[in-house]
Amino acid sequence: MLGAIREKSSMKTSIKLALAAGAVAFTAGMSGSAFADIVVTSWGGGYTASQQKAYGASWEAKTGKKINWENYNGGLGEVRAMVEAGNATWDIVDVLPDQIRTGCDEGLFEEIPADMFITTGGVSFDDDMMVPRPNDCAIPQIFWSYMAFYQEGTYSGEQPDSIADFFDVEKFPGKRGIHTWANALIEMALYADGVAIADVYDVMDTEEGIERAFAKLDTIKDHVVFWSSGAKPLELVSSGEVSMSLAYNGRVGAAILSEGAAFVPIWDGQVLEEEWLAVIKGSKNKDEAIDFAIHASAPEQQAGQAKWINYGPMRKSGLAIIAANEPWYNTGVNIMEHMPNRDEVMPSSIFANPDWWADNGSEISERFTAWMAQ
Amino acid sequence: MATAAPEQILTADGTPLKASLQKSLMRSKMHAAGLVFPAFLFLVIMFIAPIGVLLTRSIDDKLVNQFLPNTFALFEQWDQKELPDEDMYEAMFLDITGADKTLLGRATIRMNYEVSGWRSLVKKSNREFKKIESGPYKEAMIKVHKRWGEIKYWQSLGAMVDNYTMGYYLNAFDLRFDGDKNVIEQPENRQVYNLLWWRTFVVSLLVTFFCVLLGYPVAYLLATLPMRISNLLMICVLMPFWTSLLVRIVAWMIMLQQEGVVNNVLVSIGIVSDENRLAMMYNFTGTIIVMTQILLPFMILPMYSVMKGISPNYMKAAQNLGAAPSLAFIRVYIPQSLPGVGAGVILVFIVAIGYYITPELVGGKDGRLIGNMVAYHMQNSLNWGLASAMGLILLTGILVLYWLYDKLTGSAGMKMG
Repeated sequence: MLGAIREKSSMKTSIKLALAAGAVAFTAGMSGSAFADIVVTSWGGGYTASQQKAYGASWEAKTGKKINWENYNGGLGEVRAMVEAGNATWDIVDVLPDQIRTGCDEGLFEEIPADMFITTGGVSFDDDMMVPRPNDCAIPQIFWSYMAFYQEGTYSGEQPDSIADFFDVEKFPGKRGIHTWANALIEMALYADGVAIADVYDVMDTEEGIERAFAKLDTIKDHVVFWSSGAKPLELVSSGEVSMSLAYNGRVGAAILSEGAAFVPIWDGQVLEEEWLAVIKGSKNKDEAIDFAIHASAPEQQAGQAKWINYGPMRKSGLAIIAANEPWYNTGVNIMEHMPNRDEVMPSSIFANPDWWADNGSEISERFTAWMAQ
Repeated sequence: MATAAPEQILTADGTPLKASLQKSLMRSKMHAAGLVFPAFLFLVIMFIAPIGVLLTRSIDDKLVNQFLPNTFALFEQWDQKELPDEDMYEAMFLDITGADKTLLGRATIRMNYEVSGWRSLVKKSNREFKKIESGPYKEAMIKVHKRWGEIKYWQSLGAMVDNYTMGYYLNAFDLRFDGDKNVIEQPENRQVYNLLWWRTFVVSLLVTFFCVLLGYPVAYLLATLPMRISNLLMICVLMPFWTSLLVRIVAWMIMLQQEGVVNNVLVSIGIVSDENRLAMMYNFTGTIIVMTQILLPFMILPMYSVMKGISPNYMKAAQNLGAAPSLAFIRVYIPQSLPGVGAGVILVFIVAIGYYITPELVGGKDGRLIGNMVAYHMQNSLNWGLASAMGLILLTGILVLYWLYDKLTGSAGMKMG
């Protein structure tokens, strides 16, 4: 009897405790950002994980401050809304090349002078960059690329090894996976059609050039399966739904490096895209955010990220650290051969021109949508 | 005199009855208002204010006026037939060199919507103009960028001269203003919105139709079967409703793709040959199948709630009077269940018309609906004017449909629960 009462009362206490714990957990969950010193918003998945493990952890260890990592789906919609409302709930955002340009034009990002960045080996920051900073808002992050790939054993005899082969459905029959937006496709189509890499954007500046690109795309249109999320092309290729697909190089690399997938990347005609960090205008933790940004773009930190993902550092010194210290990848294998911006593949790679896309993106997007719909 | 009028009736605490009554009525009114207030506030904050903002966004066009005051002062005098004269070049020069950096950035993004290329033209000019010390400007500017010598850039300013514009609404229907404010068609290879409006409408209509077709028997069973079985059935309806949207979409991909479960089964039992596997995913069919499955509960639940209220006695009475069961069902049961069908149709149609992530994932080349373009312009091109215009057009369309429905069925026609 007494035992039962005691048990009952102890159960009551434990329920109370559980409720209290729940309430604490709830408030913590609600205002996670309030406890963190800065909020960094990125793309999630393996990419954010690489940022966390590389320069996120080292910055937290160095400063004793805490980062809260948030995910988003890209674009500047949220950032613009935040800045216009004067209530920045993020401090740093990881953006694509178009967005760093429009965002800086629109006054959505803080400016960080070039002399604040950490340099190494007596090389100036500007000389260390593989591409020039488009504006003072841009904080160097990585290069990634759109590239073609296929599964080993798909073709007997001659193997596809160029983007021209990707566009050649007679020589290499089978379906092709491509993404549902125009970026990189226009460039690839023109290069596959015989335009020299150096001339691609000059050709794209003309109406005939755009028509030529769409005509090239027409040649594979009946064989196309469209994808819109990054994991999809891997699934399309491994299930045999398509014989070749375009994909983000990081996804293909991760499948090969971590899961041992038998994918063969086609580096020829890959389109290299920039990825930048930016400090949001009106950030409530501006000083910490800038400190983090400077830290994240230091050469060793850039190289450190490549331990976890095969995206290429934007700074030459970062790439040099990796090359000198192979095997660099966390599983103890070489990573350099999966880097999109290593020397060997550069002659046959196209650097995307984000200024062209900032000018023409909307128009081409409409044309591409119309092309898909035909 | 401090004495109260003798005819006044006082309450126990000495205040006049009338005042006391008024006070108590007032209090209950305040009480009622207080209870309604949160709902009212919610409505204002979540619905009316955003629509107001949307409306102003979709017509506001002050930005370029702030950026180019000198140029626009001269614009009306220009005949738009050949390149403007030196004065206008000088005005443009002054506007660009004198503009605040953020204003310049934002205005050029806006100008780029009219003609692609404005953005880099102004940005490059802004850098290079600093080297030009004095006029004449026309030649010097064309030397900086050859686009200053192309008339289409100058003409496009005509569409941005006013502080308010209907241009975004025109854009949403593949139209635009030319320099003289005449409405003209967009170039043919950019015409895409009309097609997308039509496709969005057709997809929503088809999905609604299939939801009625599939949902009606289920709702009927739910309403008429014994409680024990119908509860189980209800769980089967709600289970997918509670499952994550993405999980359901991926499940459908696995089922329907060319190397998927359905095709494998069909091939293994010999109905379909291996070369002619059915294409049920990443196309229009896939969009319809997946959206129908996702939206089905929105159809079943309102139907069920109305059918639950239909007394079985009506059917018995009809049969008693000599109607065959099928006739009784058609003439007696269906008309009584129509309010539920109506509610379901409205609900599913409205939700379907705004869908865009699902079609994007499963629709392949046919997966782009008007919602995708709204999202694109909100997130990527930052053309919030066009996005707002399309949002308001969608909203207006839905309100018109609702009004039509209301007219057709009478105000008591719809019951949500």
